[in-house]
Amino acid sequence: MKCPIETRESAEVLLAYCARKLDAARTGILEEHIRICPVCREFADAQRAVWEALDAWEAAPVSADFDRRLYRRIENEVGWLDLLLRPLRPWVARNALPIAAAVAVVLTAGVLLDRPAAAPPAPEESAQVESLQPEQVEKALDDMQVVREFHRLVRPDPGAPLM
Amino acid sequence: MGAAAAALDYDAELMLRVKEGDGASFGVLLDKHRSSVVHFLYRMVQNHAVAEELAQEVFLRVYRSRASYEPTAKFTTWLFRIATHLALNALRDTKHERSQEHLDDDTSEMPVRQISDSRPSIEQYMVYQARLAEIRQAIGTLPEKQRAAVLMHKYEEMEYSQIAKVLSCSESAVKSLLFRAYETLRARLAHMA
Repeated sequence: MKCPIETRESAEVLLAYCARKLDAARTGILEEHIRICPVCREFADAQRAVWEALDAWEAAPVSADFDRRLYRRIENEVGWLDLLLRPLRPWVARNALPIAAAVAVVLTAGVLLDRPAAAPPAPEESAQVESLQPEQVEKALDDMQVVREFHRLVRPDPGAPLM
Repeated sequence: MGAAAAALDYDAELMLRVKEGDGASFGVLLDKHRSSVVHFLYRMVQNHAVAEELAQEVFLRVYRSRASYEPTAKFTTWLFRIATHLALNALRDTKHERSQEHLDDDTSEMPVRQISDSRPSIEQYMVYQARLAEIRQAIGTLPEKQRAAVLMHKYEEMEYSQIAKVLSCSESAVKSLLFRAYETLRARLAHMA
């Protein structure tokens, strides 16, 4: 048999042996090996000592009132919800229809009020800029030229020659 | 069907009955697993009062979860996953408070072990207490996950695969945790042979 101590994977066999979890056939083979291998014998003896030491560690018994305390906590949890809803129960039973109607009204109002507001109107300036066409600009310039000519004719420059 | 599979079916079946409102089935589950959960938590946190408080929380969580329970895993895997989670949180929360004095102070809670005679001598009792303190200290100094793995392997006799599910890690990670943990324990406790 190959020495199990050589790899960690194989050492699991020794751990299983010390935990008494190895089947009879493998136990026999391993015990044969342990008899002739001092390293494995040392490992197995140390692991057995750990196992026995842990066996000696007994936990204290569970308190006698463990279940009572647990059930009280469970009852308290159920009780709180029950306590909160209990005063409302007869009133809810008597007024189920009006309550349902009121809830529906509130929900509808909420939906209506929660609608997104209408998009803000576009600024006036940008609308003007968008509506100006090149022909309009040209016409405005022509008009300004006419007005300028009119002014020159109505109030002629005293130094300028008359036409 | 193996014994483990049968146990899986039985515990899961009980939990499904709890889901349907059968309180008596919860009592059966509590009876069946109360001691192992309390003892596991005691060995994890090494304080009996804290262990019982945490165990109460474990069973309370089981009860609270009854409505959403689905038997996707072994019941004890789920139970010990809750217990381990609570224990690791408790250990992290009180890390700064724990000290060697605390570990030593808790020995009064231990049951007196009957060694050979029905009434052990005071010397035998003192030797036993000293050994226990040493064992508890050795376990207490293991990193928390290694400790949980050793306790589930040694005292709950869980397979590597189940410990892996409880600790949410791979089976090879569990083997590695256990190998390192036992290595430390051999170094500290081998002289007790």
